[in-house]
Amino acid sequence: MTARSGEIVVSHLTKQYKQLRAVDDLSFTVQPGRVTGFLGPNGAGKTTTLRMMLGLVTPSSGNALFGGVAYKDLDEPIKHVGALLEASGAHKGRTGRNHLRVIATAAGLPASAADEALARVGLTPAAKRKFKGYSLGMKQRLGIAAALLGNPQVLILDEPANGLDPEGIRWMRDLLKALAVQGRTVLVSSHLLAEMQQLADDVVIIAAGKLIRQGPVGEVLGSMGGGAVVRVRTPRPADLAAALTAATGHVTTLPDEALSVTGLDPARIGHIAFTSGIELHELTGEKADLEQVFLQLTAGKADIR
Amino acid sequence: MKLLRAELLKIWTTSTWWVFGIVTLVLWALTTGINWLTASATLDVDTTGMDAETAEQVRVAGEAVNVATNLYTSGQFFGVLMVMLLTAILSTSEYFHQTATTTFLLTPRRETVVLAKLGAGVVFGLLFWVITTVLNLIVTPLILSSLDVGAQLGEGAVWRAILLNGLAYGIWAILGVGAGILIRSQLAATITLSLIYVIGFLGAAIIFQLIGDRFGDWFQNLQVLIPGLASQLMVSGTELPGNPPRWVGAAVLIVYALVAGIVGTIITKKRDIT
Repeated sequence: MTARSGEIVVSHLTKQYKQLRAVDDLSFTVQPGRVTGFLGPNGAGKTTTLRMMLGLVTPSSGNALFGGVAYKDLDEPIKHVGALLEASGAHKGRTGRNHLRVIATAAGLPASAADEALARVGLTPAAKRKFKGYSLGMKQRLGIAAALLGNPQVLILDEPANGLDPEGIRWMRDLLKALAVQGRTVLVSSHLLAEMQQLADDVVIIAAGKLIRQGPVGEVLGSMGGGAVVRVRTPRPADLAAALTAATGHVTTLPDEALSVTGLDPARIGHIAFTSGIELHELTGEKADLEQVFLQLTAGKADIR
Repeated sequence: MKLLRAELLKIWTTSTWWVFGIVTLVLWALTTGINWLTASATLDVDTTGMDAETAEQVRVAGEAVNVATNLYTSGQFFGVLMVMLLTAILSTSEYFHQTATTTFLLTPRRETVVLAKLGAGVVFGLLFWVITTVLNLIVTPLILSSLDVGAQLGEGAVWRAILLNGLAYGIWAILGVGAGILIRSQLAATITLSLIYVIGFLGAAIIFQLIGDRFGDWFQNLQVLIPGLASQLMVSGTELPGNPPRWVGAAVLIVYALVAGIVGTIITKKRDIT
């Protein structure tokens, strides 16, 4: 079967291992024409989720559909869905070009497709070098070349920025954005949040195998304290924290003893401090960043399981 | 078909096949040398002092046609071992080099991947068979003429043995693919298969020689259940007295190959690729 659209719908996906529920009733959707960041701390179940979506790991229950069709039921799946799951997934003694030729052959594509894919990721000079001689960055590029080989409508990448230098990361960001602008569906998992903030249009945040939040980046940020984080310094942080918490603020103590407050705007914080008779040394409204939202959302759920 | 081509390309694009090819050639030369010596010994063996049954076995084994078939299928013992290891690596390298993810992303219907691997394994098994057979066809007439025996190429038994030898190479290739799925670790698979093959072969031969007589002929005939002995039985020239018929050897091997292939496919379908 062929996928009717680039939309991905994940429904009630669950993976129960003997002791551990790695993915727990996870549902989310991914839209075409946008880059979607799939975020979670290490061990949250991101990779297991992606592998279940792609038919590599059998879910205990639930499913994932690409344009209404499960991955296993797609005809010539790499022409619909391109995936990069592990950068080291090539035979050490095979050249980069031959690695892609094997994939092209299995997918019924001409050998020239391998050369085009190599050129697209800038690996042509290393085409005839063996995989064991590749740097981690080159391996990532080769993995992306493989994912793009079938010119798929949907791209799924697991931690593609791993091992890339800053220039490589920018290259990847531009590539993925360009692919989304072409109308493709791009799902990128990462625990690097700063990178996601610059790249993603939407985010799906999971922790301990459960969905925490899903939506456009701005909306998810905004859902936490009107999008603003306020930095407050005071000689009596404990008293102020108690007062702000009582006023439904969310307070965390920063390493320099300052307080980071969400859920309350600077004017309200100033008022509460004034009425409580607490002296303020600093009161700064900051733009919320994904990193802080993320840490708050996943706090206490990211323990090693 | 395109999957078969992809599997063949996987073999061609790494160095494994020619390393195994060279090892096979060296072992072939060694075996052929030994067979030469054995041939000159068995052709004019003195049967006085042996009991009647043994004497008959030795006499038949010493017939020119049986000496010839042994030489024309020379290299089988190590050849099929190399083929089995090569095709086992076809399976194990998918996990060793973590290419299983890519392979099963390309082809979510995993049973077709196993089929393609079996096909590619058989192609390579037959390739090894063709090469050793061509070498044997060149060398054997020279050896035989040095022993004052004709080339025996007019004998149907010789050609039947050569063809059955090809069947043996093909079946061992299938066994290798299946075994490679069962034993996922590359190193463990290589070592285990080599040890089982060589020690199993020698050990079984010794055990049956030592204690076989106590249980009678039916027990001796169980030798054919040892895969290595079964494939040797397949390529014997004429029926040897006191041995099961050749087709039994073929049947035993085919059953092993079927079991390996089917169990391997089921395991591959169920396994989570992480």
